[in-house]
Amino acid sequence: MVGKMKKLKISIEGMHCSSCASNIERSLKKVSGIKEASVSLMMKKGTVEAEDNVNDDEIKKAVARAGYKVSKIE
Amino acid sequence: MNEHEHHHEEPIEDDEIKSWKRKLFWSWVLTIPIAIIMLSERLFGFELIEMPYSIITILVLGFPVLFIFGFETMKSGMRGLFTFYFNMDSLIALGTLVAYLTGIFSFTEVVADYSGVAAMIMAFFTTGKYVEAKARGRASAEIRKLLELGAKNATVIRDGNEIEIPIEEVKLGDVMIVKPGEKIPTDGIVVKGESSVDESMVTGESLPVEKSKGKTVIGATINQDGILYVKTTKIGKDTFLSHIIELVEQTQSEKIPIQRLADKITSVFVPIILVLAVLTFLNWWFFSGDLSRSIGVGVAVLVIACPCALGLATPTALMVGSGMGAKKGILIRKGEAIQTMKEIKIVVFDKTGTITKGKPEVTDIYSKVKENYLLEISASLEKLSEHPIAHAIVTKAALKKYKKVTGFSIVRGKGVIGKISGKEILIGNRALMNDKKIKYSSFEDEISGFESSGKTVMIVAENKKVIGVIAVADAIKEDSIEAINKLNTQRYRTVMITGDNERTAMAIAKQVGISEVIAGVLPEDKAKKVLELQNQGMVAFIGDGINDAPALKQSNVGIAMGTGTDIAIEAGDIVLARGSLLGVVEAINLSKATFKKIKQNLFWAFAYNIIAIPLAVAGVLHPVIAEIAMALSSITVVTNANLLRRKKI
Repeated sequence: MVGKMKKLKISIEGMHCSSCASNIERSLKKVSGIKEASVSLMMKKGTVEAEDNVNDDEIKKAVARAGYKVSKIE
Repeated sequence: MNEHEHHHEEPIEDDEIKSWKRKLFWSWVLTIPIAIIMLSERLFGFELIEMPYSIITILVLGFPVLFIFGFETMKSGMRGLFTFYFNMDSLIALGTLVAYLTGIFSFTEVVADYSGVAAMIMAFFTTGKYVEAKARGRASAEIRKLLELGAKNATVIRDGNEIEIPIEEVKLGDVMIVKPGEKIPTDGIVVKGESSVDESMVTGESLPVEKSKGKTVIGATINQDGILYVKTTKIGKDTFLSHIIELVEQTQSEKIPIQRLADKITSVFVPIILVLAVLTFLNWWFFSGDLSRSIGVGVAVLVIACPCALGLATPTALMVGSGMGAKKGILIRKGEAIQTMKEIKIVVFDKTGTITKGKPEVTDIYSKVKENYLLEISASLEKLSEHPIAHAIVTKAALKKYKKVTGFSIVRGKGVIGKISGKEILIGNRALMNDKKIKYSSFEDEISGFESSGKTVMIVAENKKVIGVIAVADAIKEDSIEAINKLNTQRYRTVMITGDNERTAMAIAKQVGISEVIAGVLPEDKAKKVLELQNQGMVAFIGDGINDAPALKQSNVGIAMGTGTDIAIEAGDIVLARGSLLGVVEAINLSKATFKKIKQNLFWAFAYNIIAIPLAVAGVLHPVIAEIAMALSSITVVTNANLLRRKKI
C-alpha cells in the first residue's frame, strides 16, 4: 500500500566530495518508505520524497550511517 | 545600503575554506622539513640526520599531518572502509596509513620507509581540497548572493508609529516605509508615494521601473529616488524572491541524464579501486618480489584515482550556469532542459502575453447603432468576463453604471452570451457567430480590414442581428522583433500559435518576423498542436505559464514567461522572471553553453582516470606525483566550470 507522500528538504554537514553525496543517497534510499533521494554537494542540501509515516529520526539515522550530519529538516 | 545590512551571518562555504586553509598551513609547516630530509638523502645521498633518527624524525613530524590535521579525512575514510560506505577519503586514508606504517615496520622488516611520502600525500591532498573548495565557492557565488539578497529589517507603521523590526516580524497588511536607497523588505503594493525601483537583481531587467500608487513591488529590489509606502502582500516563503531561491536550489539536486553514467561509476569507483590496488600490490610482489616497490605502486593506485572529478563535473557547471541565469532572471527549473535544449529545432510562441504585451486596447469601433449604446451593452456583458479583451472593452467604455445582465455564459475561446433588458446579446468572434448562425457579411469589409492590420475583432449581435464590431489590438513587446530575429538567424523554425483568426495572426506574425502561424486554436488544443509539431522535431514552447501550462508540459522544453510579480513555478522547465522575449534567446544560449561545459568536464574527468590509473598500475608514477595529479584533476574540472562565466550569453 502506498501512503501519502511528503517532500522534505534536508541540510547536511560534512560533505566534501561527490562520493559523499552518492553515499548519502544510497543510505537514504535503503530506508523503507523513502522513494526518492537526491543530494547536492554544491548546495549541501538534499531532497527526500517519502511516505508520510517516515519520521525525521529515520532520515537523520540514514545520513549518519553514511557518516554525515543533518543540520536541518524542513 | 543600510547600516543594519552589514551584520549578516557568515556564509557556510567560508568556514569550509578556512578550515582547509588552517590544515594546509600546518601540514606544510611539518611536511617541508620531511621533504628536505627525504630529498637530501635520496637525491644527494647526504644524511641530514643519521639513520635511524631520520626515520624517527619523519614519523614524529608526519604523525600530526596524518592524524591531527588529517583527522577528518582519516576518520571519514576509515569509517567508510568499515561501514562499506566508501568515499574519496577511504582511498587517501588507506594510502597514507599503509605508507606511514612502512616507516614503523622499516625498523624490523626489510621494507623501505614511505612514511615521508604519507605526509606529503596528505599535504597535497589538503592543498587540493583547499583550492577545490575555493573554486566551488566561486562557482556558487551568484547563488549565494541570491540567498543573501533579502532584506533583514523593515520599517513599518504600527499604531501610528514608525518602528524598525526584523523582517520575520512583518505581517501581511503591514504598511512599510521604504526610503530612497533602501531595499524594499518584502512583496507588496504601493499605497502612497512615487519612485523608481531597480529590479535588476531579481528580474534581470536593467532599467529602473516606475512605481506609484497601486503598483506591485518585489521584495529585495532597491527603491531609488522617492519614499514609498508599501502594503505587505506576501511574506516568508510566498515571496517572489523565496520562489526564485527555491527554484534555483531545487535545480542543484536535479540529475541531468548525461551525468548518470558518471554517477554510476562514482558509486562503484572506490571499491573497484580498493580491489585494484590490492591486486596491483600482490601482482607486483609476486612477480618482482620487491615488497617495498610493490607497496609504493599500490599506494600510487590508491591515491591517483579520482572519483571527485567525475562527480563534480556536472554539478559545478550547472551551478555556474544557473547562477549566471538567475542574475539575468533566467531560472532553470529542470536541469534536464539544458541537455534537451541543444536538440530543439522548433520554437513555438504563444501570441498573447508572450509576443504581445497581453494588455489589449480598443482601437476602433464600427457601429450601425449609436456608439455609446454599443459600448454600454458590450461593457455591461464583458464586465462579467475575466478575459483580457473583455477588460479592454470595459476600460474603453468607462461606465459609471452597468446594465443588468441575466443568463450570462462564456463560450471558451469564442465569446460571451447574455440577456440585457430582454434582448439576447452575443459578443464574440466569427466562430461564435457561425455557431449561432448569425450573418455578418454586411460587416465583412470592416472586419477583414481590421484583421489585416493585426487587430482582433469582436462582433456584437443583438437578437441575432449584428449591430457593430469592436476592434482590439494588443501591442507587440518592444524587443519581441529583435529576439525572434535572433532566433531566425540561428536557424530555428519559429512558429506562432494563437486563438486569433488567421488574418489577424498573420499580420502580427509578419510584424515580428515569424512566417509560420497556427491560428484559431482553442486554449485546450495548444498542447495537441505542440504534439503534432513534435513529429517534425524537438519543440520549445514559450508561453505565459498560466493558460499555457499543458502546452508547456507537452513541449520538450517549456519556457514560462514571468508576468509582473507572479511566477509560474510549476509550469515551465525554464522560467523567465522578466517579460522580455530576449530572455528566451539568452536561455537557449545559456543552456547550450552550460551543457557544452558539462560535456567538456566529463570528458576531462573520464580521460584523466582512464589514463592515470593504468599508469599507476604499471608502476611508472611515484605516489606523490600520483597525488598531485589527482588533486589537479578535480581542480581542473571546477576551474573549467568557472570559465563558463566568460561566455557571452
